[in-house]
Amino acid sequence: MMLNKMPARAAGVFDEKMTEAIANSRVLVVGAGGIGCEILKNLVLTGFPSIHIIDLDTIDVSNLNRQFLFHKEHVGYSKSQVARISALSFNPDVEILAFHDSIISTDYGVSYFKQFKVVLNALDNRVARNHVNRMCLAANVPLIETGTAGYAGQVELIQKGLTQCYECQPKAPQKTFPGCTIRNTPSEPIHCIVWAKHLFNQLFGEEDPDQDVSPDTADPEAAGEAGASALSSEGTTSGNVERKSTRAWAAETNYDPEKLFTKLFGDDIRYLLSMENLWKKRKPPTPLEWNNLPGKDSPPEQHTGLPDQRVWSIYECAQVFSTSCTSLQKDLRGRTEGDHLVWDKDEKHAMDFVTACANIRAHIFNIPVKSRFEIKSMAGNIIPAIATANAIVAGLAVLRAQAILRGDINSCTSVYLRPKVNHRGQLFVPEKTLTPPNPKCYVCAPKPEVAVACNLKQLTLKDLNAAFKDGLNMQAPDATIEGKGIVVLSSEPGETDHNNDKTLNEIGLSDGSALLVDDFLQNYEVRVRLQQEDEEKMWRIVPDADKPMPAPRPANGANGSEPKPGPSTSRDHDSDSDLEIIDEDDDEPAVKPPKRRRTEMNSDEVVELC
Amino acid sequence: MVETNDIELSAAEAEQYDRQIRLWGLESQKRLRAAKVLIIGIAGLGAEIAKNVILSGVKSVCLLDNEKLKEVDRYSQFLAPPDKIGENRAEVSLTRAKALNPMVDITAETKSVDNLPDSFFTEFDIVCATGLKQEQLERINNACRDSNKKFLCGDVWGMFGYMFADLVDHEYSEEIVQHKAQKRGPDDTEKTAVETFSITVKRRAIYVPLQNALSVDWMKPEMRSRLRRGDPSYFVMKILMRFKDEYNRDPDAAKRKEDTAILLRMRDELVKELSLPAGFIVDALLQDVFGTMAGAAAVIGGVIGQEVVKAVSQREPPHNNMFFFNPVKCVGFVELYGQ
Repeated sequence: MMLNKMPARAAGVFDEKMTEAIANSRVLVVGAGGIGCEILKNLVLTGFPSIHIIDLDTIDVSNLNRQFLFHKEHVGYSKSQVARISALSFNPDVEILAFHDSIISTDYGVSYFKQFKVVLNALDNRVARNHVNRMCLAANVPLIETGTAGYAGQVELIQKGLTQCYECQPKAPQKTFPGCTIRNTPSEPIHCIVWAKHLFNQLFGEEDPDQDVSPDTADPEAAGEAGASALSSEGTTSGNVERKSTRAWAAETNYDPEKLFTKLFGDDIRYLLSMENLWKKRKPPTPLEWNNLPGKDSPPEQHTGLPDQRVWSIYECAQVFSTSCTSLQKDLRGRTEGDHLVWDKDEKHAMDFVTACANIRAHIFNIPVKSRFEIKSMAGNIIPAIATANAIVAGLAVLRAQAILRGDINSCTSVYLRPKVNHRGQLFVPEKTLTPPNPKCYVCAPKPEVAVACNLKQLTLKDLNAAFKDGLNMQAPDATIEGKGIVVLSSEPGETDHNNDKTLNEIGLSDGSALLVDDFLQNYEVRVRLQQEDEEKMWRIVPDADKPMPAPRPANGANGSEPKPGPSTSRDHDSDSDLEIIDEDDDEPAVKPPKRRRTEMNSDEVVELC
Repeated sequence: MVETNDIELSAAEAEQYDRQIRLWGLESQKRLRAAKVLIIGIAGLGAEIAKNVILSGVKSVCLLDNEKLKEVDRYSQFLAPPDKIGENRAEVSLTRAKALNPMVDITAETKSVDNLPDSFFTEFDIVCATGLKQEQLERINNACRDSNKKFLCGDVWGMFGYMFADLVDHEYSEEIVQHKAQKRGPDDTEKTAVETFSITVKRRAIYVPLQNALSVDWMKPEMRSRLRRGDPSYFVMKILMRFKDEYNRDPDAAKRKEDTAILLRMRDELVKELSLPAGFIVDALLQDVFGTMAGAAAVIGGVIGQEVVKAVSQREPPHNNMFFFNPVKCVGFVELYGQ
């Protein structure tokens, strides 16, 4: 594919080999956020003649401090499309195709990926990263994976057979909290914030039984006489409200703020107090009265700083609770039957509601209260992002892409941008060698294999489907029994629904049985061995028989309440990504992979599942 | 020193700068808003620095350049529309620079630095100079230094680049993260959890002028010992600066072959002059030094932009005093020279 136009214009800037390699390339950029904008700029200036860019997101004001291809008048428009137009003004001689879409789609299959010489990831979430990783492995296209968080960042090459893939090392599970900590015994602000977001969903959002906000009577710590005494006293006098769904109860009271407040911050707290075992070693909570709230008679404190940085009094929180409740209910009522609100940190009333509820609950449990600004960071999982770190990472990524095109792929080791220089004065720290693939990786090994530990007598096929999706990051799994060829799970809608509620035992699977699980979209097949474990309440992925992976533990399983299949983690992330920050690699022998600290971070660029 | 002002940020500013205020704090953002920045040389590197500094939300940026936009600038200068070749680089960059952040006051100056008095430079809180010759850099650095104003300079040749900083006598605060084991409630599965908290400490850094950093005596034993563990980037910079002094231009892509030969000859001379180890400055470092590669400009411009933010906000330790990007190893490092 030799284009007529030669965007790599002035002869001599590159050597001939590089000039030709660039002129004959087509590249894909996944994500048009902070890093994506910078990558796109570098590519068009360098003269890459054919670029595809994809992002499903639209432009927000808070992007403008770094996503420099966007200006105020572009707020609300498609990122990929505005990025294309801005980048073309730097070099009209290149071809840019922009897609306002999720990369996770049958429209972008293996043959789509095969047309690119290099793929550059500028994503902010693991689901999309896993997916692009698999697509590039299947298409055998080099992938440059990037990420930033605050001052730090990284650039990493993934090439099938040459380097480790994005999924060669197990990622640390998302931080979750035991259900009883959230519902009964919060001790930190984050516990109250998670509770407040659950409450939002219970009242206005999608009801999730894992997000119950009422006192948890099955708390093992409260076992014994406490539960009984609780049931006989407060439980019954307050109409045993915890037996009814919070939403139904709220609807009956017509979302009356005072009644809601009295139940959530008065009755429920008194109920918790009756579970006396909980308070033997803890400071007990103090129920609140709507008409007698702290701060009612005092004027707001003098405050300097952003308005959002002022901490509200409990009286003010109650006022905000009241107004936000009313607005949210109005919004909910205006929607069609069955529709619901989705919590968004950038929606004023949704954010107000969570701030107010988290602080009221924190006050009750003697936990420090926080400003709306701080709560927004925690509730919205906001990772700070700046132009400079994105510029550096994107610059390094495109230099790496040039090296790959030139045939120097073996020199493309991972590079880490450190927030501060290391003991050798290094700010960008390259690894000395490429990290080879993990031969036992259940994604990129020649014959991928993984074990799923579960209780085959209890786990249903529906649960197993969730294990494939949530545990093995598949999009549309099909499963057949090895040796028998029987299809037990199909990605075709309805085809295997009759199996949904059958246990694995019931369909003839036993300890040691194997399934061949295939994802058509990802062009990925893995052999799944089943391991019987009587104690397993749901399922656990065991990628390597010698070294079991630290599996995400359930929120509920630990406290003896109703077992739930699948890691019933509180999904309190808008998005996630991760960043590896190298610690101090210099004293490590070159052959040993450097020590890493994997941290949970979400950076900028959002391309998510639609 | 940037004066602090007590005027609160507007709602629009708070919204636009939200993601960075969450990193460096409100106080830093207020200091940024008071800072007047001069950027000299609006080729690829100057455009990158301008973009980063303007996005950060400073008070004003002056773009100074007396040169015309060239064909080769199209590889990295994204602030200038490509059809403006032949026009003044600072002036043609104004429209796009302003669009990056309408809250920043942006002006262009088309005189040569040689025709501007010292008092012009000291009007600014910080000066970032690119594309100048050594004597021009030293003159502006000394003018800034005499008025206690901060000075940064840097350049990119092909894929290679450097930065120098003279923040004179710089006071800053640094956040240090500490860990404390904490006992949790009896319901916690982990017996103890580590609580992280940060404390802020005040620090001070003393800088030297550019001429000190560029006139290092490599015959001194302490400098010889640096060669053993060292990276040759400092010498690559010296060779490229000498080239500029001698030929009154940077290596020219159109004369790639001839200029590479000159650079390698200059390298051999320097190696002899300073008795450097043979093979210390590999050929590869002098072969990709033509024009400005967008990726390299982004990298060096990112580092310099961040140093402007640190210097102005007086937060976090700034680099003292040279940064180099070695594209062959893809390493970026800071070393102190001339002290």
